[in-house]
Amino acid sequence: MSFVTIEKVTKVYEADGESAAVKVLSDVSLEIVEGEFVCLMGPSGSGKSTLLTIVGAMNHPTTGRVLVDEIDVYGLADERRADFRREYLGFVFQQHHLMPYLNSLENAMLPLATASMTTKEKRERAMNVLDKVGLADKASRLPNQLSGGEQGRLAIARAIVNEPPLILADEPTGSLDTKTGQEVMEVFLKLNAQRQTVFMVTHNPENSALAHRIINIVDGRVE
Amino acid sequence: MRISTIAFANLKRRKGKAAFLTIGIAIGIGTAVALLSLSSSIKEEIGSQLDRFGANIVVVPQSNSLSLDYGGLSVSSVSFDVKQLHNEDAKNVLDIPFRNRISNVSPKLLGAVAVEGRDILLAGVDFESELTLKRWWHIAGRKPEDEQDLLVGYEVARALSLIESTTPATTQHVSHGGSHDPGEDKSQFKIVRGNLKVAGKDHNVAGVISQTGGPEDQMIFGSLAHVQSLLNKPDQLSLIEVSALCKDCPIGDIVAQISERLPQAKVSAIQQSVRARSETVERLTRFSGAVAAVVLAIGALMIFTTMMGSVIERTKEIGVLRAIGFRRTHIIKGLMIEVAVISVLGGVLGWGAGMLASWFALPYFAETGAAFEFQPLLAIVAVAAGLIIGTVSSFYPIVRASRLDPSEAVRYV
Repeated sequence: MSFVTIEKVTKVYEADGESAAVKVLSDVSLEIVEGEFVCLMGPSGSGKSTLLTIVGAMNHPTTGRVLVDEIDVYGLADERRADFRREYLGFVFQQHHLMPYLNSLENAMLPLATASMTTKEKRERAMNVLDKVGLADKASRLPNQLSGGEQGRLAIARAIVNEPPLILADEPTGSLDTKTGQEVMEVFLKLNAQRQTVFMVTHNPENSALAHRIINIVDGRVE
Repeated sequence: MRISTIAFANLKRRKGKAAFLTIGIAIGIGTAVALLSLSSSIKEEIGSQLDRFGANIVVVPQSNSLSLDYGGLSVSSVSFDVKQLHNEDAKNVLDIPFRNRISNVSPKLLGAVAVEGRDILLAGVDFESELTLKRWWHIAGRKPEDEQDLLVGYEVARALSLIESTTPATTQHVSHGGSHDPGEDKSQFKIVRGNLKVAGKDHNVAGVISQTGGPEDQMIFGSLAHVQSLLNKPDQLSLIEVSALCKDCPIGDIVAQISERLPQAKVSAIQQSVRARSETVERLTRFSGAVAAVVLAIGALMIFTTMMGSVIERTKEIGVLRAIGFRRTHIIKGLMIEVAVISVLGGVLGWGAGMLASWFALPYFAETGAAFEFQPLLAIVAVAAGLIIGTVSSFYPIVRASRLDPSEAVRYV
């Protein structure tokens, strides 16, 4: 059964004073089943990241619908959509975007900041995910005291601390060398092996080769 | 990990910016506190000076017959009064519960006397209290020292040829209530005759009061006991002028207390004087308030600009927080905590700095040594003001931050 359903999604960035209107996605439809590892590939400017942010409940499509676990994401009010992101999604950004002033444990705990649980519970949960990504011994380190691969793993830890059913990753190994990129991919595979659904944007064919399915997108259209 | 953890960590991380904002608020609040504190101290000083600058309560006998006029206030005729005021009554004024608010009591006996063929109003006064009360009088000559000494009003002196015109440099002046500055004196005459026959008796012209435009121009002043004897009214008074120190004092209550103490007298407040005092003091307060408001507005503008810059700078961070599920209200809460910490700190520092500045600056602003008022309660107002200014001026940037479309923010990402 489909866990993510994208129905005829079109996205047009309206013209502003400096640039003309741009149609980034045209009539995109696809489905992802629960526990699937899907890679989205395509050249720069093809609309990969835009599609990912639309699935991520952050970017309203111009037309079309996105259903996650049968929830019409853009039918939700803005604050409810924020709750949806917290409960259903884990984001991993290309540049990781860790908070430089928080240590590894605090960065991993960040999505729990608004959760109604005790600090002890939050710490335990964050330590568990740090352990999962192999950073338990570096909990007190600041991001700039971690290697690139460790930062990538910390970003994954932050994305999964809420135990979201869907992980969205935007070129998570894009800024890493081959070896550290492999470290990060191993974590994704491990998570996917535990039935976590992964939807990843990547340029790297080696990474996409590890996925269950590859979707190619060119000029805003799924091929 | 709570939202406040993120806020405090952010403040710690941006120490320079946080310090800059704190100092900005502290300067604004400090200036306002210093101005308010200074104006409060100076206000009291001005109030006291105004209170000493003439009477604001007049006590006259209860009477149906009014025939003499003094200072625009009618006083009863001596000859027809049934109920008289006596020397003892002047002392009794100082027996009221609000006696510590009374700065001067000046008893008077008024009567018409023949002076070289003219009817002139003679006033018996206690020169010490009278000259304290009438600080605007400039006397050419000297202060009266014995019973035969008189002070003569300008118009009387001119009519009786006691003075003739001259230049200020050749005139000897006596001023009251501080050092005398001859350059400020407008009188241009000198005394040419030192004696005067009043009610058939010889007297010395101790001094002539420079023209005031008031009733004293047409009067002669002698010592109270001597005038009582001359007018054959021993122990009697026509009126008592009272100067009450009116900072926060209900003039009506003082009037009521005197009336109760002197049931045979009619006690009235000179409303014009009271109003003038309160208007002057109010004007000073308004001016201080306006300056403080301008300074605070500049401070608020600074906070607004800095917060706008901060929000733009943190677009990416806010975008990431929104992307991982922070609600708008969570973003607002986090930023508000930061602003509140800075504002409270700025308020407290501003209060301390303002108090200190006021303590240092007071001697330069207040001439007669107005007392510095340490105002711990003002700290609460300062902190509240800091919070209000901080919150109001950051409101728009914070709301704008919370409204950042995550997709827009993600573009930065």
